[in-house]
Formats: sequence, C-alpha cells, structure tokens
Amino acid sequence: MDVDYANKLVGQSVPRTEDLALLTGTARYIDDIRMPGMIYAKVLRSTHAHAHFKLDVSRARTMPGVLGVLTGAELVGKVKPWGDLMQDLLVGDHFAFAIDKVCYEGQEIAAVVAETKYQAMDALEAIDIEYDPLPVVLEADKAILPDAPLLHPNFNYEFGEGNIFDRYRVRIGDIERAEAEADLVVRQRFSSNRQAGAALDPHGCVASYDSFSGMLTLYSSTQSLFMVRDVLADSLQLARNRVRVVAPEVGAGFGSKAQVFAHEVIASIFSLQTGRPVHLVLSRAEVFRVGTARNGQIRHVEMFFKKDGKITGYRDYVIQNSGGSSYWGNQVVHIGTNVGMLPYPVPNIHIDGDIVHTNTAPGGALRGFGIPQINWAKEQLMDIAASELGLDPAHIRDINIVRGDQCPLVTPFGQKVDTTSIDSCLAKAVEVIGWHDKRANKRPYEGVGMSLGMKYTSCRHPSFDTDLSAIRLRLETDGTVTIFSSDVNHGQGHATFLAQIVSDVLGVGFEKIVLAPPDSSNAPFGLGTYASRAAAVLGTACRMAAERLREKIVAIAAHVLEVDAGDLEAGGDRIYVKGLSNTGLYLENLAGYSVYRTHQLPPGFEPTLEATATYDTPTDREAPDGSGNFSVTYAGGCHIAHVRVDPGTGHITILDYVMVHDTGTVINPLIVEGQHQGGFLMGLGMAFGEDYVYDSEGHLLTATFAEYKAPLATDVPELHHLFEIPAPSTTIPGGQKGAGESGTGPVCAALGNAVAHATGVRFTTLPITADRMLLALREKERSGLEIFRYPDDMPDYDGPRGYEDWPKPTGGEGEMFF
Amino acid sequence: MQTITIHVNGKKVRGTIDERMLLIEFIRDVANLTGTHAGCWEARCGACAVELDGNTVKSCNVLAVQADGCSVFTVESLSQQRLKPVEHVTTQSLAGVYTPLQAIGSSAADLHPLQKAFHTCHALQCGFCTPGMLMVLKGFLAENPSPTREEVRMAIAGNICRCTGYQHIVDAAMMAAETLRAAGP
Ligand code: FES
Ligand code: FES
Repeated sequence: MDVDYANKLVGQSVPRTEDLALLTGTARYIDDIRMPGMIYAKVLRSTHAHAHFKLDVSRARTMPGVLGVLTGAELVGKVKPWGDLMQDLLVGDHFAFAIDKVCYEGQEIAAVVAETKYQAMDALEAIDIEYDPLPVVLEADKAILPDAPLLHPNFNYEFGEGNIFDRYRVRIGDIERAEAEADLVVRQRFSSNRQAGAALDPHGCVASYDSFSGMLTLYSSTQSLFMVRDVLADSLQLARNRVRVVAPEVGAGFGSKAQVFAHEVIASIFSLQTGRPVHLVLSRAEVFRVGTARNGQIRHVEMFFKKDGKITGYRDYVIQNSGGSSYWGNQVVHIGTNVGMLPYPVPNIHIDGDIVHTNTAPGGALRGFGIPQINWAKEQLMDIAASELGLDPAHIRDINIVRGDQCPLVTPFGQKVDTTSIDSCLAKAVEVIGWHDKRANKRPYEGVGMSLGMKYTSCRHPSFDTDLSAIRLRLETDGTVTIFSSDVNHGQGHATFLAQIVSDVLGVGFEKIVLAPPDSSNAPFGLGTYASRAAAVLGTACRMAAERLREKIVAIAAHVLEVDAGDLEAGGDRIYVKGLSNTGLYLENLAGYSVYRTHQLPPGFEPTLEATATYDTPTDREAPDGSGNFSVTYAGGCHIAHVRVDPGTGHITILDYVMVHDTGTVINPLIVEGQHQGGFLMGLGMAFGEDYVYDSEGHLLTATFAEYKAPLATDVPELHHLFEIPAPSTTIPGGQKGAGESGTGPVCAALGNAVAHATGVRFTTLPITADRMLLALREKERSGLEIFRYPDDMPDYDGPRGYEDWPKPTGGEGEMFF
Repeated sequence: MQTITIHVNGKKVRGTIDERMLLIEFIRDVANLTGTHAGCWEARCGACAVELDGNTVKSCNVLAVQADGCSVFTVESLSQQRLKPVEHVTTQSLAGVYTPLQAIGSSAADLHPLQKAFHTCHALQCGFCTPGMLMVLKGFLAENPSPTREEVRMAIAGNICRCTGYQHIVDAAMMAAETLRAAGP
C-alpha cells in the first residue's frame, strides 16, 4: 500500500523534544556544572556609581582557601580591552576590571578564587578599598550638558565627544518642506525606562584551561558562542582554535546574554593561572547591575500631517542613555529607529541622535532592540494627531500603513517589505475588541488603545556587516540525524523546529533527529540566537543543508536501485520510487553504504553523508543618509488594549488584550504562541512597572525581585485573543518571519493610548505605575486640563514642558557620515 | 561545620556542612540533585521550591540545618527515570522497528500529569522556572483539586517566569487538575 508522506511537520504544534530534560530536572544549566577540582570565583564590585578608588588586596591573598586574587591594575598591558560595537570603529572601552576609577555601581574592581564559595566570599570582605567619590550624572539629557561629569575622559570617539560616544543621523526627503506644507504638526517629548532582561537563569560561566593542550574551554550561559569566543580569545591573546565555548542549557537571555562579559574574562584568567576549572556565576543583584538593561531614550518627536491624516514627515531628536558602558548601545538607536518607523512609509524623515554614557547600569540588547522605545513615542503621537484632526485612531493608521497588496514595496527609509498582512491585522483586532462600539459608547475610566508595530526578522547591524547562521547535518549510520549549530537555544525550541524542517525534507522520523549541544569546537560558524533570527535565518540554513543532504542520499539510492534520481521520493525513513512507498532503501542502509560499504557508492561520490549550509540574508548596509533594509523580512502586528482605571487607587486593570500578528509561515504554532505571550509579558513589564530606579548618588534601588517589578501571573491578563494572519515571506524560502519580538514592541503604546482614552491622562514617561496614575488624576482634576500630560503638566516637573524648551541636537549639520 | 541528615526523595543523605549552607545548596551540592534551581537566592522567584515535610517552601530561604531530620521532595521525585527494557533490544535497528525514544528509556508516558500537561501545553520555554512551578502546583492541586484559572494564578504568584507570559502555565495547571481529578483519590 502506498503511504502518503505529504503530511508535513512544518506548521504543526509538535510538542518540544527539549521538554523532557527540562521537566524532570535532568537538564544542566551553568550552575549545575560540576567538574573535578572545580574552584569558585567571586567578584568585588563597586558600591559607588562614580569614584576613584585605591585597593589593597594583600589581606585577601592570605585568607584560607584563597588561590588567586586579580585586580585591573595588574592586567593592564597583559589583557587586551575590548569594545563597543561602534560604527566602523571598535573603541577599547571594556576591560575585565575598573583600573582606578569606576563609572557605575556594580562595576568589577577585583576578584578572588578559592577552594569553596564561602572562602571566596570571606576573602572578598578582606579586600581593603578606599573610594574618592565623584559627582554623578544619571540622566541622558544631563549627560550632554557642557558641565556634566565626564565618565570616560580618555577615550576619543569618532562621532562624539564628552559623554556622547556616538551619534546617529537620518536625512530622508525634505523635512523643511514637509513642515512648511503640513496642515497639522504634533510634537511631544517622550521618555522611556530602563528594563532588565532578568532572565531567570543568572549569567555565569565555568572556565577550564588545560596547559598541555593549551585549550581553554568556557562553559557559559550565553546566546552567542562565537561572539564570546572571538572577543575572549582576542582579549587573552589566545589562538581562536584554542578557545572552545560551550553553552549548557541556557535559562533565557532576551538579548541580555548576547555579548561577552567581564566575568567570562575573569574566570578564564583564573583558570589560566591555576590550571583548574573556575566557577563564576553571578547573583541576582549582580545581574541587575551589570547584566545589561534596556537603553533608556528621550525622544523629541514632531510629526507632520495633511488634513486627511496622511503622514508627510517625522522629525526626532533622540538622546539615548546607554549607561556606564555599552556593547550594543548605538546599534539599538540605528536598528530600532529604522525598523521602528514601520508600518508607515514616511516620505520625509529627519533624525538626530546623541548616544551617551551615564553613571548607570550598562545598556544592552533587550527584546525589541529599540523598537518599544520609538513605538511608545510614535504610536502615541498618532493618537494625538488623530484627535487633533477629528479622526478615528484606527482610520489614521489604516490610511498610512503599508498594505499587503502593495508588496513587495520599498519605503523611503529603505525597508524592503516583501509581504505583510498588517492591514488585515488592524482590521481583525478592531473587530475582535469591538473597537467602534467601545469608542462610541465610552464608559467612565474605561478606554481602548491600539498600537501597530513591525519587527525585524534578523538584522544586519551597521557596525556588523553580517547576518548569517549555519547548520551542519550528519546522517548517522543507523539512519538517525544529528544537527550541529552554534546558535544557542535558550527557550526558542531549536531542537524541535529544526527537527521539523529536517524531518520534512529528508523524510526521516522526527524522533530520530537530535540537536547536538552548542559547542564552538564542532559547530559551524553562526552569529547566535538574537534579533528574532532563529526560525527564519537558522531555519533557512537548516532547510538548505537538509536539501543538500537529501541530494546526496538520493544520489546513492538512485545508483543502488538503478533508477533516475528524479523518480525517487523521501519519506518514512526511506528513499523509494514514487508511488511505491513501502519499497525502497532505508536511510540506515544508505548511510551504511556511505561509510562502511563505499564500493556501493556512485563513481566519484565523496563518502559520508554530511552537509553544511550557511545562510547570510540579502540585507543592506546602512547608507550615509541612514536608509537601508537591515532585516530580511518583517513580522508585524496590531495590539489593542481595553483597560479600566480605578480612580481611587490609580490601579489599571487590563480587561481585554487583542494581539493579531503576521509571523509568516509558522513552523510550530504553539511555540509561536508562546513567543507572543512571552513578548507581551516583557512589554507589560516595561509599561507598568519594571524600572531602574536610582537614588541621587547612583545607587540602584531596584536590584532585587522585591523592588524590581517583574510581572507575576496575577498581573497578566488572560491572553485568549491571540491571532495569526500569515503573510509568508517571499525572501525566506520557507516563508518564516521572526516571532520573538513582535509581541513586545506595541505593548507600551497600546496601553498608553488606552489609559489616555480612559482618563485623559497622557503618559509621556514610563512606567505607568498606579502611584503616578493617581497623582496625575488628582492633578488633572485640580488643573482642569482636559488632556493632562504626565509628567509634563505636573507642577514639580523640571524638564522641558514644551517645544520651545527642547534641547537642540549637539551634532549640527557638519560632516558626519556624508 | 555540622553533620546533618535529610531524607531527599526518600533517600537518606548525610552531609557535614558549613552552617551557612542553605537547603537549596544541600539539595544541589550534597544530594547532587540540580533540578532545583536558584534564580534569586532571596525568596522571590520560586525556582527553588521543594516540598519540605509536606509543605511547599522556597529552599533558598531555609538553612540546611533547619531541615535536619526532615523529608524533602524535589522535582526529580515527580517521575522516575526508566531503565532500558530488555525486550526492546534488537539486533538490527531498521527504521520503523522501534522508535529510539522507547528503546532508550524514559518517555513522555512516564511523566507526572503536571509534567505531561506542561509538555502538551508548551508551558515552558527556557525551563528554568519549571521545577519550581511544578512543585508549587503539585502542592496546590493536592489541596485544591478544582481550581479556577484565577486561583492558579494566585498559587503561582510567588514564582516568576520571564519567558511564557504564564498563559500556557495556567492552561497546563488546569489540564493537570482535570487529569488528577479523573484519576481520583
Ligand atoms: S532562588 Fe529561591 S526563590 Fe529564587
Ligand atoms: S520558562 Fe523561562 S523562566 Fe519560565
């Protein structure tokens, strides 16, 4: 009987293969690694945000069990600094330790390694340190002032000076003309908060050096093996083939583990010095202080409109707070702003950006990568404009967005939108929430608000001219398949969705496919798991490798069966002549021929059945005017929130939340659903509670989960209204789009708009807490203002209240990238 | 240093320990069961939840010496690892004769109803919070076999998950409650 193997796994909610180990406690995360002779390192961190310091570690060296103490001064000239990913320039502004001056609380000052954790902690207390505090600057708009305390006086930046370490500029079209010819100009300053990834599994590593082989092995809770390997090897001046980075199970990252960290360098040096495996796992407080936080932005946005609601221009001056040091900081502005402008193909765009250091936690990559920040500003201004023009917020969006039937389309900003269903997403969300009814029959203290967002799938960073991932496949001699990849799974389900693709292409049983643990010594070179690139970029590499492997397998089968390769089909773990699915050759036999019976192979066939494929996306470098297509395709979505505000407490209840997304062809719907729900959680945290709060001296007051308001199960509404309207990508062969971040981008603005509709209070800063809500409601009543901006209209607000007081970009019109 | 004995998953474990040692460290470093995770060390995230003498506790918030003589159950107790059944040994492994998963050992069939529901509902992404979620929900469902979704949310309000948005976790808890009810006392 002929079996139909047309039933494909791609598109099905296959339960994940990785689950069993995670559910039963057998999975090994970084802190679960035990090695013979393993010793423990701890780091002494600055308790000041800005200070010179003097150290004496002599007492610590004599403490029981102590095997080594490290400070910055002794490493100068021996260990190479590494740096920010700056446009065309690497500034060596990162080092294992501060040398004589700290720039943020938590910065590494010294480290000890001892036989036990307790001995290491005791030894830390025996380090004598004297601080000479310096004035601090905590806010981005203060850091650009001429009299601001300088964080890094010794660095020369190509496009910045003082605390401004980089600049950003976009010049598209003719903004002056757009302004002159506009029927309506809306302007508002928006600021956004710092947010932690707060992956539940703390950052950490175990470094193990063998002096005879000269191999340094670093087990690290990281998202990117090769980024860590190359920077680490460079910093320690080791050959890159002698540094092996292995990722154990990684308990999430959200972008916060997509770079090399000082603790990885410190543990490695200790292992090089002692020849023993060194364990260094950070505490929660350390992760909050140095594990990177979302870059806070102040955006001074002006948008220009025609009477009918058509957007004609966008002008913005963004000042970004990237903390005391930042690996990804400037990339966030470039990528977030470019992609964040979607889904509107705005014809005239004029943006200046100052990217600054402050005495706060390092800024890093975090789910959304700049898009939630610009979305927060732009999508609220859309509502403000709609109300000025007397238009419905859904309508003003509808007439401006890129539409599915216009695709493929190149926007003035350079984005090549291959496909989209954002117009249908908007229509669907409007229908599901009952938008028109809720707008027409508004109840007191209830409101609805929407936000549209599109999200990159993969990314070619301006300073990082690559966007590749790779897969190697091996058909093993028993007919099973091993997948090798360096793009680390940390919750996305790589073992499952890659196996779905391989199973479909090779006709091999899903359960016979295994993903090898990520190990730089045997995996092909790939950039890592970030930027929502796994399904689309890694998935495409996987499909290419599987197709190559299939071609080889079929060639052997055709030779042995003496038939034409074109007549053969794969399925049910065998290769068979079309229509005869219960005959043919098992993959197991074919694999056996390829290795153990090489005389059976076609003449000239190179034995073994392996195939490798690397996929680099057809994306652009950033042009001098800021334009370009940085993402291979664009996911997108419409979010609508229905909220009720309690006027007595300021508490905001989300009564309903609708998310309609375009994620292209979905490989595993249940996984994608989970990504959207998790993405929403991160947006909700940013909107309603998560924040880095500092006292006036730069001490972080929210460095524990007690003060840092990560959303709990009781804070999250039921997310039943989650829909997909797939517009399969035509650039990605399988049609996939990135799922990881489209759930995050629109949340803050959707909630901000809903709150404004409910109460007349327009938040221009984040987070929207109950305390602030209550203050705003009271002040609104007292002031009698119909629209009350928080904090702009608060009596004690000391920032610029109106356009006249806005600061001007510091870069001027001079030479920069032109 | 002090010598204590704790019954972990039914086995007697003795250790001579630093008095500062926490119960979670005893479980992970003396009993060598690393399924119990530390996400915060400050009784906030719930990843370290275990059953201590019948109560669900955060094991980072208990000194090991306080649990001397007590009985502890961890995530590893929920399902047993199954050894390879002899009848599955074949001389050749032709495709379709067996599925490797069955031949090698444990499978989804061996899971506790909660674990099974988590697997089916995709209630875990990175899996770091999962052991704590499972232990808390096990205790909760024993006392509340027919909870509402709201009650499930309250029950896990001491457990932080950064990945899932909780929706699928609540789904899984409801599914497991149903399975457990059907199995009856
Ligand atoms: S580690 Fe115990 S509650 Fe977080
Ligand atoms: S699954 Fe990652 S923290 Fe819950």
